[in-house]
Amino acid sequence: MTAPADAHRTAGTLRTAAGDALAWADSRRADFALGEDALAADGEVDRSWKPLGELAQVCATVTRLTGPADPLHARARGLLDFAWQETREGELFLRLQRLEPFATYPLEVYAALASAGLRHPAFEQAAAVVARTRGWRLTEQDPTRRLGVLRAEERCGIHRFGQAPPELPQTWLGGLPEPWTFGRDAGYALTHVVFHLSDWGRDASALPPDLVAYLGDWLPPWLDTCLEAGLWDLGGELLAVAAIVARTTGEDIPGSDWGRLLEARGPSGEVPLDDRDLDDIAAGPGSDGDRYFLHHYHSTLMAAFAAVLAGARPAERPGAGRRPGGQGAPA
Amino acid sequence: MEQSGTSTRLQAAVQDLASGVVSALRGGDHAHVVPPAGTDGEAGDLALAAVRVLGADALLPGLLSRTPPDPAELAVFRKAVEAYPPRADAAPTVRWSHWAMARTLRRADPSSAEPPDEPDTAWLDDATWQFVTHQLAVLAPLALPGEDCAVSRLAAGRPVDVARGFVRAVRRRDWRQAAGAGRWLTLLPGVPDSVGLEAGLDFVELMGGQDPLVALQVQAARRMRTGARV
Repeated sequence: MTAPADAHRTAGTLRTAAGDALAWADSRRADFALGEDALAADGEVDRSWKPLGELAQVCATVTRLTGPADPLHARARGLLDFAWQETREGELFLRLQRLEPFATYPLEVYAALASAGLRHPAFEQAAAVVARTRGWRLTEQDPTRRLGVLRAEERCGIHRFGQAPPELPQTWLGGLPEPWTFGRDAGYALTHVVFHLSDWGRDASALPPDLVAYLGDWLPPWLDTCLEAGLWDLGGELLAVAAIVARTTGEDIPGSDWGRLLEARGPSGEVPLDDRDLDDIAAGPGSDGDRYFLHHYHSTLMAAFAAVLAGARPAERPGAGRRPGGQGAPA
Repeated sequence: MEQSGTSTRLQAAVQDLASGVVSALRGGDHAHVVPPAGTDGEAGDLALAAVRVLGADALLPGLLSRTPPDPAELAVFRKAVEAYPPRADAAPTVRWSHWAMARTLRRADPSSAEPPDEPDTAWLDDATWQFVTHQLAVLAPLALPGEDCAVSRLAAGRPVDVARGFVRAVRRRDWRQAAGAGRWLTLLPGVPDSVGLEAGLDFVELMGGQDPLVALQVQAARRMRTGARV
């Protein structure tokens, strides 16, 4: 168990870390901005819409979990407004849809903004038309991605008729696999299942109890081994999952895991993707700024996301799912 | 280099001894694996030291199959117990390992001296799950059905922690630690079913079973899962 003074110190450290990470993101608005190729047929989505959508997703949760007077809230709100302006208040989603009507990523990015109350009714109506086709519904995707698309549809008022989505059991996490079969790809799949199910941490109580128990048991060794291997990006996502789970169980913040992640930060609080030598991959601070951004933006956003989630807990059902007995000694 | 050469030969002797135990646990030709006494000189010293390193598991096949110990084998085992008492500053795992040997000797031959008092487990009181698992894996010879000592009681209180340690060991490809932790998990109540222990032991054997020290723990775990008692 963490002593109250330690818990207090950890909470303060995490708040500072979240503030630094968001400040770094704020200082890189030019890198998050949509370039001229955002609407190009051969545009690189991973370098344009994806970073902007991820920024919006994280900031939407931050604004939900912090009070209006909180500087973190103001920073996140400002970044959301920036992202919305980048899409010309949603107008670009309509244009994107005309270019690629059956691509799902415009809806997924839009849903992140819509979850923060930034909406474009004409795009939602257009998306609903496409989503009624069998072709849209039969889009081939892995089960975790499909879960995300279903959630994005719901966010935009598109409801599929029929039973509850069968996607969860088909995901790696939904099948409750042997935890020692965990690997990098399974790790990213499972974190996103949790993000989708919990509405990116805003509704932790939506996680089924068997998943909460399973994650409570096995997150510690996954976190430990990812952080040991210098997988800071995945480690940050797992810390976010741990914080979401803790919002339902009331468990302590894994202080030593956080300590390892925070030690990996760069000079302005940014977190690298992994521990590869930045000079070796030409992503050092003094080299190509774009490479540095691409090697840091996602892991930095995830660290901010996880830190805010950890600081905001506990929420619902404190005590539920906690393992009895003297286990879970400091990790 | 002399030291290094001795160390290499000792490791080889331990591996040979462990291979014999594995073979016997698999129901091989005989349950006796400890080399005969009476070998003098360096070879004898090495054999004795190998028994001490492997610890109580040197007599595990006979113990599990309830085969009466071979007197010659017992003599070597006794000699190893007596020749390597733990030093005053020995690590807790060394003291416990020696205690386990003395206890096994007493089980195999009730006319032997009572084992010394149990060491304590204070060094594990506030230990992380990582450290607890590591130390328990080192002390895997204490993972026996019906064993009642402070270490086994401590392990019984931390099944989820040991299961987490098993997962961590597999992830780190530390097959010896995984196998030792897996052996404990076969005995502990309260291990989450989701760990998938049976498949886990098979996987550890697949990946690391060419090391007799891994194979020994996996085989011991399997024997105990099928209900072998001491």
